Amino acid sequence: MKITRITVFHVDLPLEYPYWLSGGRLKFDVLDATLVKIETDARVTGWGEGTPWGHTYVPAHGPGIRAGIETLAPFILGLDPRRVLDVERAMDLALPGHLYAKSPIDMACWDIAGQAAGLPIADLMGGGSRSPKPIASSVGAKTVEETREVLKRYRDRGYVAHSVKIGGDVDRDVARIRDVETHRPKGEIILYDVNRGWSRQQALRVMQATEELRVMFEQPGETLDDIAALRPLHSAPVSVDESLVTLQDAARIARDGLAEVFGIKLNRVGGLTKAARIRDIALAHGIDMFVMATGGSVLADTEALHLAATIPDHAVHAVWACQDMLTRDIAGGRGPRNIDGHLHLPEAPGLGVHPDEDALGAPVARYELTQ
Amino acid sequence: MKITRLTLWNVPLTSHETYYMASGKTCDTVETVVLKIDTDAGIVGWGEVCPIPHYLPAYARGVAPAIAEMAPVILGADPIGPAALMAAMDAHLPGHVFAKSPVDMAAWDLTGKAAGLPLYALLGGRQSDTLPLYHSITCIAPEKMADIARDAFASGIRQFQVKLGADNNWEADVARLVQVRAAVGDGPIVYGDWNCGASRLDATRVARAVRHLDVMIEQPCATLEDCAAVRASSGLPMKLDELAHDTASLLEAHRLGIMDAVALKLSKFGGVTALARARDLCLHLGAKMCIEDTWGSDIATAAALHVGAATPASRVLNVCDLSGYVAPRLDPRAPVRQAGVIRPPTGPGLGVEPDETALGAPQLVLE
Repeated sequence: MKITRITVFHVDLPLEYPYWLSGGRLKFDVLDATLVKIETDARVTGWGEGTPWGHTYVPAHGPGIRAGIETLAPFILGLDPRRVLDVERAMDLALPGHLYAKSPIDMACWDIAGQAAGLPIADLMGGGSRSPKPIASSVGAKTVEETREVLKRYRDRGYVAHSVKIGGDVDRDVARIRDVETHRPKGEIILYDVNRGWSRQQALRVMQATEELRVMFEQPGETLDDIAALRPLHSAPVSVDESLVTLQDAARIARDGLAEVFGIKLNRVGGLTKAARIRDIALAHGIDMFVMATGGSVLADTEALHLAATIPDHAVHAVWACQDMLTRDIAGGRGPRNIDGHLHLPEAPGLGVHPDEDALGAPVARYELTQ
Repeated sequence: MKITRLTLWNVPLTSHETYYMASGKTCDTVETVVLKIDTDAGIVGWGEVCPIPHYLPAYARGVAPAIAEMAPVILGADPIGPAALMAAMDAHLPGHVFAKSPVDMAAWDLTGKAAGLPLYALLGGRQSDTLPLYHSITCIAPEKMADIARDAFASGIRQFQVKLGADNNWEADVARLVQVRAAVGDGPIVYGDWNCGASRLDATRVARAVRHLDVMIEQPCATLEDCAAVRASSGLPMKLDELAHDTASLLEAHRLGIMDAVALKLSKFGGVTALARARDLCLHLGAKMCIEDTWGSDIATAAALHVGAATPASRVLNVCDLSGYVAPRLDPRAPVRQAGVIRPPTGPGLGVEPDETALGAPQLVLE
């Protein structure tokens, strides 16, 4: 089987509510999504998606994905998409770094490989759990009262996992954590996500003030060096998110004991192929995981759901449904959707959901194999 | 002063001699990206970035989309004092330092022109009259590399970078270092560069086989830990390049004791502002500096020469006349090598003025 054509679509996905990133980073109200269709000489077609969380969050932006694919395409056309490691190596040799531009290609190849094998991607990767996966909420409120309201809204829809965004103001952070913990129902998973928004002194003050509550923090500093420096000074479990990009990052975190949890974001780490290795490092070191898209449509959510299904249930805390934050659906209601706060693995071969191509508009680029 | 227009050209640069490195990397014809910044004061600034394909996380076709993404914070901004503009760009789009480098370079060009001073004067003042060049020897048969070294020696060159690893033959790599060392006699500096392409084992075998010689090892492996193992087992001094690209990596390399020398490249760090910061850190850490860019023509070459000229001569390992390796020249009046050394331009700003008509049609214009 050979890749014969790569077609690239640019789609704007509007957010229902505008989003402000922590630390004074810009507000945005639309996600720039890149959808990639890969066709083969065997009439199997795969779809990939790369949707960064705006351009100010991590070093990734939509135009960069499309420019990266322009540079990568000549090295991918003609390869067998089922041989995902060959495709991965060809991309890594052609263009070092730029993992976020490679991830939609990797995703489409896994979609094709799954369809060719007649298996959902999770099963092709070695076995997929059918346990419904809790969807983490995204609680971006500011005050104690707003936090209560947003949490109630999510709980009413069945959510049992929450990512409560904190950072920036020590006293307010402590007050919000105390209030959330006071009203927390038994069995709920709550992660306090700092998104790099603390300096070291702010981190220490909040983490020490809330020590008796035994809560878990995500990305409590800008870099792994910051997280390592704080490590001996508090006792809270830590999840690393933005600073987990490469396999080397995962190896360092595991070796130096910097975190108990990995936040694996598929687009950031370069797709399923690379994410699976990070998963294995985590499992080998007793590190639990959250598995999510950086952002995007039901396709990106589904990619993450497949990886989550390959992780033993006890080691994966939650996934995400970015689709629920959007006002535009490119797949006509198909694919895994929020059912009582959970996503269910699709049984169809491959990714298990494709977009309505007509709804994507005209392609912005097309690369073809020339004989 | 306000930035009113950004114009980008993609210009193919053809090497006079095709150049082979480890892991199949070459640069025969590569695209350089030339940036012109227009201002409401009527003066223009020039920048350039030329990523070598498949070499660093940087590519020519990624420059225009990143600059277009950042255009809202660049257009209308004041280019005088480039650090403020760079901070705004970093907030708007993290990373992508290779695409920021030409913007920073052009802002320094404008700042120098506004002040009526050459860039080296703004970076602390000229500290040396001439700057030593190295000659990079493509990885081919050892005896042919020795011939190239002899020719370069005759032209006045006293620093030789020997590319290794292109044929995955560690014994040939030993021969390359032995023969080039013998060809240039005692005294000149000779260093063998794998561009990250060697395994720890191969690099260690080569380094141990030549440790009786006066040679330096450059960037043998793909991680700092592997490089440290090669240094520890051979005792040879080490130069870093690809893995030294920001403050954190410079500090880590220094901590591991493997940074006797380091390549400070404009587009690897993100422009003149970032490179001057790295230069100051290296003055403290003690590493000798090779001050250059990944590749390019007269604009990138001039910018690096200014940083080199504003660095204490005792700490400058060498600079590179990139524009002498490729055609076409963007500014035929720009500096060229003479007897193994080169001087920075002395006009205001970068001191080079590309011939705009020779650049062809622009790839992108943002107003």
